[in-house]
Amino acid sequence: MNKADILTGKGLRKKYGDLEVVKGVSVSIAAGEFVCLTGKSGSGKTTLLSLLSGLEYPTDGSVLLDGKDITIASEDELALFRRDHVGFIFQSFNLIPTLNAWENVALPLFPVKMPGDEKRKKATELLARMELTERMDHLPSALSGGEKQRVAIARALVNHPRILFADEPTGNLDSATGENIMDILKRLNKEEGVAILMVTHDEDIAKTADRVIRMRDGEIV
Amino acid sequence: MNVSYLKGELLHQKRRTLASIVGLSIGVALLVITNALSMAYYQAARIPLKEIGADITVQRSGNVPKDLSGSVFPCSAVTIRDGDVRKIAALPGVEGVGRAVLLWIFDPHQAWIVLGIEQTNTVGPAVLRNAVRQGRFLEQGKAEAIVEAAYAHKFGIKVGDTLSLAKRTYPVVGILDASKAAKIAIANVYLPLSEAQGIAASSNQVQDVSPFDPHDVNLLFIRAESSKIPALAASLRTMLGKQATIGTPDSFLKLLGSLFALSDKFTVAASLIAIIIAALVAFKTMAGNIAERAREIGVLKAVGWTGGNVMSQIMAESVVQSLMGGVLGLAVAYVGAFFLSFMTVNIPIPWEMSPVPHFLPGGGDQIYKTLNLPVYIPWTLAAFAVLLSLIIGVLTGSLLTRAISRIKPSEVLRHE
Repeated sequence: MNKADILTGKGLRKKYGDLEVVKGVSVSIAAGEFVCLTGKSGSGKTTLLSLLSGLEYPTDGSVLLDGKDITIASEDELALFRRDHVGFIFQSFNLIPTLNAWENVALPLFPVKMPGDEKRKKATELLARMELTERMDHLPSALSGGEKQRVAIARALVNHPRILFADEPTGNLDSATGENIMDILKRLNKEEGVAILMVTHDEDIAKTADRVIRMRDGEIV
Repeated sequence: MNVSYLKGELLHQKRRTLASIVGLSIGVALLVITNALSMAYYQAARIPLKEIGADITVQRSGNVPKDLSGSVFPCSAVTIRDGDVRKIAALPGVEGVGRAVLLWIFDPHQAWIVLGIEQTNTVGPAVLRNAVRQGRFLEQGKAEAIVEAAYAHKFGIKVGDTLSLAKRTYPVVGILDASKAAKIAIANVYLPLSEAQGIAASSNQVQDVSPFDPHDVNLLFIRAESSKIPALAASLRTMLGKQATIGTPDSFLKLLGSLFALSDKFTVAASLIAIIIAALVAFKTMAGNIAERAREIGVLKAVGWTGGNVMSQIMAESVVQSLMGGVLGLAVAYVGAFFLSFMTVNIPIPWEMSPVPHFLPGGGDQIYKTLNLPVYIPWTLAAFAVLLSLIIGVLTGSLLTRAISRIKPSEVLRHE
């Protein structure tokens, strides 16, 4: 792993039964780098994202994330590592429908021993940055798609991660809202140095990245 | 465990929460009501004895008098020796003993059912002092009589009249209404015990059938510790022999027969069914809940919740829902118990305890004590129901551990 690399995957393989979805992939992401992962449906890009982010264990290979080999960590160790070092943004937002906006942002902090006021303050600040102060007490069902994704971004940032994993974050949004979300992510990347690994189908978005990794049939091409 | 998350799940997932709470509450209500009903029958069976301040009655059966004239003992109640009474009073568990003498007096123009009672004893028929409607109750050391209201009305007897019984005379000092009292130990005329003992001791018909000394009796009323009633009944049977008739709450329950037996067996079956329903509903609802929320649980794990964090949150939901179900079920049971308490039940009185000669018109008919079923929910049953709900909640939560641990954080991506 290069000193500047925040994420390195080596010889990653993932098999589901006889089906090998990721075939010996090696990839590195430098701190502060914005990388897009593209490829057709079924090319293995989302699986690779889940292996690199520690959502899933590889069948073979290793992943060094922020200096830690996450392939040998237990599930609970991995959960705590994700909480402290990683942020996630998903295509369908994955907000908890019964929690309001600020509670969704503070969700990763719920199990943390920290005064409730402090959790709320952190969430409130992030929502303010996302220009959602007025929507703080609203349930996800009362938010637009763009607002939901901004809440999800705020949730991903609540623990000040050095890397964000984004799986088609604009996939469920109209183009104007998608551009707005991309602006936020680019700003985070440029101004705060947060590394981003984003899965996307959209070639226009991919072009704006520092680097594009293309996948086909489980391999980088 | 996060309270706002818990509150959000319970309040916003109304259908799921209600299904769980209502299902559990039905089980708990069924459990509580069936047990309360069963206890009510047990309580009802105690009432005829309780109304005369006793838990056990003791009689001995003997021979039928050869000649039904003068003063005789009913064949179901012959002499109990004073020595036996003293031994009985000393048995463990006996809290008090009331003595009485029941006589049938056949005078040339009138038949009387006469009961000699201890005027001041709180165990036995002297509790009828509360049923005096005119005049006063018997006083210590005075040879006087009180008459039952229906009998007094039938024969035009009033306070101040003089009764002539077995060649003795007694001023009538009171009229009492025993119609609402227990059907045990009621009579037409009540005398001081010593007077009835005197009549019995001087009666040849009594002495021919069952030798009787002036301190002996033929009816005993025992107040006893509840837990020792069955053991005491067994001791009394041993002491007084095969001819002893020992009346306990169980004697009344046996006479309630199929109705009680059905209720008793039904209680066990219904309780089991209720517990199974409650547990199954809780488990099915929570298991469905976990399946529905696989993606949400995946999100929790993805953003850094450990398996233990998720588990404690789900456990808290399960326990709170179960507790709410338990409390609602208990409330339903209280309402049910209130309405059931208007139900009446006829408690048959064993024929041996009926003072009426069976050869008189209506004397052979089965008599009943009719009363409202005393349905109530003791705090122990209420606490058990709530505790059971809590246990079901914890067990359900625990059983779902494996299902929750199977949900991987990558669920959040798999369904994209």
